[in-house]
Amino acid sequence: MSAPETTQATDAATPTPFAMIAGDPSAMVCEGDVCYIPGASAE
Amino acid sequence: MTRGLAGKHGADAGIREPKHPFAYFVSEPIKIDIWSDIACPWCYIGKRHLESGIASLGDGAPEVDITYHSYELSPDTPLDFEGSTVEYLADRKGMPVERVEQMLDHVTGVAAQAGLDYHFEKVAHTKTLKAHEVLHFAKSEGKQLELKERLLKAYFVEGGRVNRIDELVAYAAEVGLDADAARDALESGRYGDAVQADIAQAQAYGINGVPFFVIDGKYGISGAQPAEVFAQALTQVAGERDGAAA
Repeated sequence: MSAPETTQATDAATPTPFAMIAGDPSAMVCEGDVCYIPGASAE
Repeated sequence: MTRGLAGKHGADAGIREPKHPFAYFVSEPIKIDIWSDIACPWCYIGKRHLESGIASLGDGAPEVDITYHSYELSPDTPLDFEGSTVEYLADRKGMPVERVEQMLDHVTGVAAQAGLDYHFEKVAHTKTLKAHEVLHFAKSEGKQLELKERLLKAYFVEGGRVNRIDELVAYAAEVGLDADAARDALESGRYGDAVQADIAQAQAYGINGVPFFVIDGKYGISGAQPAEVFAQALTQVAGERDGAAA
């Protein structure tokens, strides 16, 4: 099993103290009243 | 599902400097911190995917210690919105009704693939703050995972009201919590600060959407990722621990 791809969180706007695992870019997240694929249209 | 809900946490909970070779086999469970809301369809799906990912590792799965943290997606949601989900989203977001229906059909389909029987026509939109309070009470009693599952099912499958104290107490009792103690916790509001602390922590982490998973305090995973992403992350963390202990 290959290691998951990670990105170091260095963006000042997202001060996460951990490395982000990219995973599936089409994974949905919810924000406010809508759920969406980050970088794509709202769902 | 839960594996290895450890009673001890913190830096001294595990054996860091073993004095006996067999001590290497005793370690802390991998901590999984999850920020999510009840009124979040992809949080329930993500929960199932995480559980599937852990299950896919079989007997070799590392022990995990899961904690759910509060995140209120839409704090201005009315306490009792009487309309349908379609009306709620169409009115609030100005989205065409047909588009909302397509969207909900899609989510329902993905949920079904995860074994969840969503019924958006039943969903009672509500503010979830009290639900988060009772989840913190359940955490203090070691029943948070059971109640989280119960509340998500109530909201998305059964159309339950997850904002009313009487109903929250009933759900708490269903998972084995003391009803009077749950009522007292809710009526006193004593877990309100804990809920706000979770929300503030999410903001400090830059978490803008949920579900959001933090594995062992080292890796962040955003969204309802497929089961294999969680399995790979857990395998990696377990491997890193093995490497550090060797």
